[in-house]
Amino acid sequence: MNGSTTSTVPDVIAAEASASVERKLARVPLVLSNRNFSWITERIAGVNEGAAPRWWWVTFSISSLVAAIGLFCLGYQISTGVGVWGLNHPVGWAWDITNFVFWIGIGHAGTLISAILFLLRQKWRTSINRAAEAMTLFAVICAAIFPGVHVGRVWMAWFLAPVPNNYGIWPNFRSPLLWDVFAVSTYFSVSVLFWYTGLIPDLGTLRDRAKGKLQKLLYGIFALGWRGSNRNWRHYEMAYLLLAGLSTPLVLSVHSVVSFDFATSVIPSWHTTIFPPYFVAGAIFGGFAMVLTLLIPARAIYKLHDIITPGHVDKMAKIILLTGTIVSYAYAMEFFIAWYSGNQFERYSFYNRIFGPYWWYWWVGMLFCNFVAPQLFWFKRFRFNIYIVYFVCMCVNAGMWFERFIIIVGGIHRDFLPSSWGMFHATWVDIWTFIGTFGIFMSLFLLFIRWLPMIAMSEVKIVLPEADPHHHATPEGHHPVAAGGMERTQ
Amino acid sequence: MSDRSHVMPTPEGEYFETSRFAGLSMIAGVVAAIALVLCVVGALVNPQQFAYSWLFGFGVFFAICAGCFFWIIVHHAVDAEWSVVVRRQLENIASLFPLFLLFFIPIVLLRHHLYEWLVIPKGTDHLLDSKRAYLNLPFFIVRALIILTFFSVMAYLFRRISVAQDRDGNPAHTLRMRKLAIASLPLFGFSLTFGAVDWFMSLNYIWFSTMWGVYIFAGAAGSSMSLLILIITWLRNSGYLKDVVSIEHYHTMGKWLLAFTVFWAYIGFSQYMLIWYANIPEETEYFILRNVESWNLMSLLLVFGRFFFPFGLLLLRSTKKKVKTLCILAGWIIFMELVDIYVIILPELHRSGMHLSIWDFFPVIGIGATLLFFYLRLVGKTSLFPTRDPRLMESLRFQN
Repeated sequence: MNGSTTSTVPDVIAAEASASVERKLARVPLVLSNRNFSWITERIAGVNEGAAPRWWWVTFSISSLVAAIGLFCLGYQISTGVGVWGLNHPVGWAWDITNFVFWIGIGHAGTLISAILFLLRQKWRTSINRAAEAMTLFAVICAAIFPGVHVGRVWMAWFLAPVPNNYGIWPNFRSPLLWDVFAVSTYFSVSVLFWYTGLIPDLGTLRDRAKGKLQKLLYGIFALGWRGSNRNWRHYEMAYLLLAGLSTPLVLSVHSVVSFDFATSVIPSWHTTIFPPYFVAGAIFGGFAMVLTLLIPARAIYKLHDIITPGHVDKMAKIILLTGTIVSYAYAMEFFIAWYSGNQFERYSFYNRIFGPYWWYWWVGMLFCNFVAPQLFWFKRFRFNIYIVYFVCMCVNAGMWFERFIIIVGGIHRDFLPSSWGMFHATWVDIWTFIGTFGIFMSLFLLFIRWLPMIAMSEVKIVLPEADPHHHATPEGHHPVAAGGMERTQ
Repeated sequence: MSDRSHVMPTPEGEYFETSRFAGLSMIAGVVAAIALVLCVVGALVNPQQFAYSWLFGFGVFFAICAGCFFWIIVHHAVDAEWSVVVRRQLENIASLFPLFLLFFIPIVLLRHHLYEWLVIPKGTDHLLDSKRAYLNLPFFIVRALIILTFFSVMAYLFRRISVAQDRDGNPAHTLRMRKLAIASLPLFGFSLTFGAVDWFMSLNYIWFSTMWGVYIFAGAAGSSMSLLILIITWLRNSGYLKDVVSIEHYHTMGKWLLAFTVFWAYIGFSQYMLIWYANIPEETEYFILRNVESWNLMSLLLVFGRFFFPFGLLLLRSTKKKVKTLCILAGWIIFMELVDIYVIILPELHRSGMHLSIWDFFPVIGIGATLLFFYLRLVGKTSLFPTRDPRLMESLRFQN
């Protein structure tokens, strides 16, 4: 131990602690290769300032084309009616609500990273929070489409909000579907505010560096007169902390309310009390998988390995493992309590989940993708193998969609009376609307990385060792901190 | 907060002088002995009431000790810094788990008073018969043994390795404990859940809730953090840990108390609201029983006392940074844990309203005093904080 010169305890054994142990205990720097402030600005702002590379135009064209097909499908569905989807009796909710829950779930990682990890002083969040938050907003936009159009007469969608009207018609305040409207719109507004507040210092940087007049003007307008003064920073940090505090309950509430859509019903396998935390854990699980899905290629293309380091991927993989384990716990509880309840309908609905006509959704989606695949993350060598990480993230992306589908359709396609049983068959409109939302999501994300700094420059700089007022530059620069070391880089 | 960069721990650590507290230890021992003797009287005079009262005492302390175990494994699993200085007390409390194997004996002996499913003969109730693969005596006892042994062995290992590190300062112990902690996390989840299902939920074999394990966990995590705050304060008031635990650590403990106050409310509300909303008789009977007669007052006391009151106060930074206020709140939250477990267990006996019995007190006092007695024997054996933990310096200099 440092300073223990008078130690009566034999220090010999301590000295024998192998180098590998010390390496494992060392706090790894958050930004590698001793990168300084200017490198960070050049590298990140450079993405926005240079001309758009060819790959960007190619992917943007493809995604906007896919988005256009999706928008066409929405137009076709609105003009023709919900009948163009495969909905029927008894399956009144299928891909529409599955997609809604899928996208809203993805929209959870961003706010978790930016708000909860901020409150928990997890400094590694700074490298990934900007892109994750942007992804959150785009995912919520994609999500909001589905409940909006599934009402059928979309021009009456204003009835979702309690707008005073001449007819004296009000929404049912006891309906979780209405709570959803409130929860999602609050979440979206607060997330936009939070994201935008975080952007302001970086917008100031972009404005100051902008060469073109138009860029200077636009970045200048949105930078809200940021001068980087002491007073600016004070207000900024206060606002950021307050918004983080406000967003934290929202991370939990949105998906809890989404889960209420199902759990308040009396449908076997929908009505179960663990749904709120189970859905929240599942949302973070799927959200982190999508963050990695987007950031791993982005980091390779823009050579950001020193900012989004293997350590960051490792931590995100651990969060995927943690939330995946919580989700698996919930799966296990659902099965156990379904059996324990002794309720024949409850028991049947879970038997049907495994052996019914949708068996492979459960075996492939829930069991393999959501439970088996993340088990790889127990092992460090897999968390540091980018191909394995990407594979698991892809499994989780798919698995979370399958999970929502099997919960929703699996719960209702077997009605209480066998004479009312049915199946769901997706139509081309179902399929292309869903694919279209990926186009919308990707197009928005590509526009984001083109025009806005995808990594929070100012925040990454704050976690550099030289930002610490007590920092003393050493000739070796960063050194792995030995056990008992004092440097706080993480 | 002043700069703590000058703070250096004494390398030998700080030791609790057991002899100084011999009086307290004796009082605890005497109180435990008297209360346990009275428990035996209770078991003979009014076995049915006593069975529920004992389960209540067992439940409260099981939850608190399991919560302490949770904080140890979370500390290691996430490689936390701040909690190094308070960890030894968590290890000491969790090491009391073997006693629960003894405390479980009265539950086994008085099982017929507690668990209807043990009494109803086969073939009487079809619903119960369909659950007998799980609800049967041998399996019930095996599960209890597995759960309590898991906690006992793991808690023993954590303390042993941690104390070994005090001696040799080998940082490899930290890695060993981390591995053990990560493996313990899922096992902890299942142990606590099935403990909660077996001992509390099966009091009414008809009722079920998938959230049950999470609900018990939420109460356990908050009340164990409260106990930690109280114990650390008691040690500081006795002159220990003065340079080790700072107001910054209190602030963090207060934040966790706030977090788990909200989490308890979130889980409790979700469970209640979903059952209320769906209104299915087999589920609602649990809450109907607790929402009628005088039980309703107790349920409301929980809503306001376990959530609104501490939540409002814990939001303020001044509460978390004032040791005295924080301790009052911590004591209150432990009291609320008593109320929570009481409202879980006793309504199954007194179905027409709350009926506080004299026998409700002796098990809590008896188990609590026994635990205190053994805690006082443990606490002096090692340093009051891990002296050679590789993260000790970071923990000492921790600032929020």
